[in-house]
Amino acid sequence: MHHSSLLLDSFNWFTALPFASLEVGQHLYWQIGGLKVHGQVLITSWIVIGILVIVSVLATRKVERIPSGLQNFMEYALEFVRDLTKNQIGEKEYRPWVPFIGTLFLFIFVSNWSGALFPWKLISLPEGELAAPTNDINTTVALALCTSFVYFYAGFRKKGLGYFRKYIEPTPVLLPIAILEDFTKPLSLSFRLFGNILADELVVAVLVLLVPLIVPLPVMLLGLFTSGIQALVFATLAGAYIHESLEGHGDEEEAH
Amino acid sequence: MFDFNGTLPLMMFQFFLLVAVLNAVFFKPLTQAIDERDGFIRTNNTEARERLAKAKSLTEQYEQELAGTRKQSQQVLADAQAEAQKIAQTQITEAQQQVQAEVMKAQAELESQKQSAFSELEKQVDTLSQQILNKLLGSTLA
Repeated sequence: MHHSSLLLDSFNWFTALPFASLEVGQHLYWQIGGLKVHGQVLITSWIVIGILVIVSVLATRKVERIPSGLQNFMEYALEFVRDLTKNQIGEKEYRPWVPFIGTLFLFIFVSNWSGALFPWKLISLPEGELAAPTNDINTTVALALCTSFVYFYAGFRKKGLGYFRKYIEPTPVLLPIAILEDFTKPLSLSFRLFGNILADELVVAVLVLLVPLIVPLPVMLLGLFTSGIQALVFATLAGAYIHESLEGHGDEEEAH
Repeated sequence: MFDFNGTLPLMMFQFFLLVAVLNAVFFKPLTQAIDERDGFIRTNNTEARERLAKAKSLTEQYEQELAGTRKQSQQVLADAQAEAQKIAQTQITEAQQQVQAEVMKAQAELESQKQSAFSELEKQVDTLSQQILNKLLGSTLA
């Protein structure tokens, strides 16, 4: 009892310091129509979207044959996501999916890095705090559902209702697992991203709380690394899922 | 923490909006730029390759022509040399013949002069011998 109160006291002492605090599960609520939304998530997501759109517009304002500066950089980014998509979906069909997977990668990457690099917490809100949009479960689930939606769309566009054949194609015994897969895919996508980003921010926050100088730096670097990897993983898996529904099960691909 | 609300559909909506916007301002123009550059480089490359092949064939052609011309010039040179030699030969033989003819003529003239000189000498010998005879015998005869 005594110990725990001491611990609580020290914790209160820490939280009283101005440079670090921990808040989980507190949100700035906005009321839009009949919906409650997380304002802090939307604000940072708008900033991220704004950065992406402004940089894109600046890069493509005057497209030149010999690229330089921003155009060169954005072409590098484009080639990166193009290669990523091509590796997953294959040379023949990857082109229509580059915008989706590329946007997925860029949005998640910029979101994660904005959370890791920009000191959002210096901007104080009436409630909750600004952070990477991807550390909110709503964002990651939204992105994962978009991915699900897109891979269903890809399958239907390619094969029509024949897309459903993939559920019973090798054997109808696997039907429950095939259906389950459609739920586990967005679930694993969203929770992987959410967990990694939130955990990274929490670890950094806790370390800053305990030792405000130097010690959190390696963890912050690790966070940058994780952020990039998570964006890559999300985009790669989205590509793999789209490829899966384009290709389908069975030998029909080889047949014609 | 697991607090689902209106953020989710709004996020989906704005994400698809972002896909559309980025497709218009980023993916399409830059993909087009990259493809155009690819095409440009490819055509340039094939053009350059064609030009190189053409240049090579031209070089070959020129080299053949050069070899032919060189051969021709050597032929001309050899012909001219042969002709010159022939001319020189004929001129030499002509000159020799002329010289020989002149020598013969000179010899013949010499011979004839010798003959005439001899005959004159003989005539003189006759007169002299007559005179000697006259001188020797004349007194006695007279």
